[in-house]
Amino acid sequence: MTYRTTLSRTWWLKHNAFKAYMLREATVLPLTFFILCLVSGVYCLWQGESQWNHWQTAMGQPWVLAVNLLAFFASLFHAWTFFQLFPRVMPIRMGHISVPANVLIAGQWAAVLSVMVLFSWLFWGKL
Amino acid sequence: MNDRTTENMTIKPKKNHRSSEPVWWALFSAGGVCFAVFIPTAILFFGFLQPLGLIDFSYSQAHNWFFGFWGLMFSGAFIILPGFHAAHRIRHGLHDLKVQRHGLIKVICYGLAGLISLLTLGIWFTGIIS
Repeated sequence: MTYRTTLSRTWWLKHNAFKAYMLREATVLPLTFFILCLVSGVYCLWQGESQWNHWQTAMGQPWVLAVNLLAFFASLFHAWTFFQLFPRVMPIRMGHISVPANVLIAGQWAAVLSVMVLFSWLFWGKL
Repeated sequence: MNDRTTENMTIKPKKNHRSSEPVWWALFSAGGVCFAVFIPTAILFFGFLQPLGLIDFSYSQAHNWFFGFWGLMFSGAFIILPGFHAAHRIRHGLHDLKVQRHGLIKVICYGLAGLISLLTLGIWFTGIIS
């Protein structure tokens, strides 16, 4: 008989590093909720104006706002961990010098910021 | 004898036994970038500013904007790729929680992500041609 280790379903509660890992994995839940919000928005847009207005009302429900607030922080938490990973997985070299990890991480946050600036310009800017 | 063993060990897997895993991991990585770079802004604008009335996104504006080139880009970067990213993580999350029906979970997760993608693309396409 070979020896098989058995893990309980709650194995990750035994160590803080595992808890952090599971917390990061759990960020997928509010994200999934927000993606479904977007899909329903697209569907309502397709159905017509009154459905579009219904969608906007639904998005303003307190519990939807609360879950999306969670999704917002989840996406930033995910971004924070994801951006740290990138310089390790894909180090970039310019000539003889490898670009420091900090610069790559800052560059990725700059990308997040530029998407926000682009959206702000789209909705508030005048051309 | 030795040569034979080495030869056997370096034999490449047959084509019809190719793993589908690289596809899921590629979609996962691409979706991860979208999740990190695009989704925070999307939540801010469509999750808060729009429902709270801080931006005005009228039906005709949204319609013109979505049923065009940018709508396709939006579908890919904000719905489809993050959708497959989420499916992949839910699949592996269930594995971490010791749910044993791996085959079934795989089909359900990627199946749902695929259905959402088809639905979004279908809506975009019928909206474009109408």
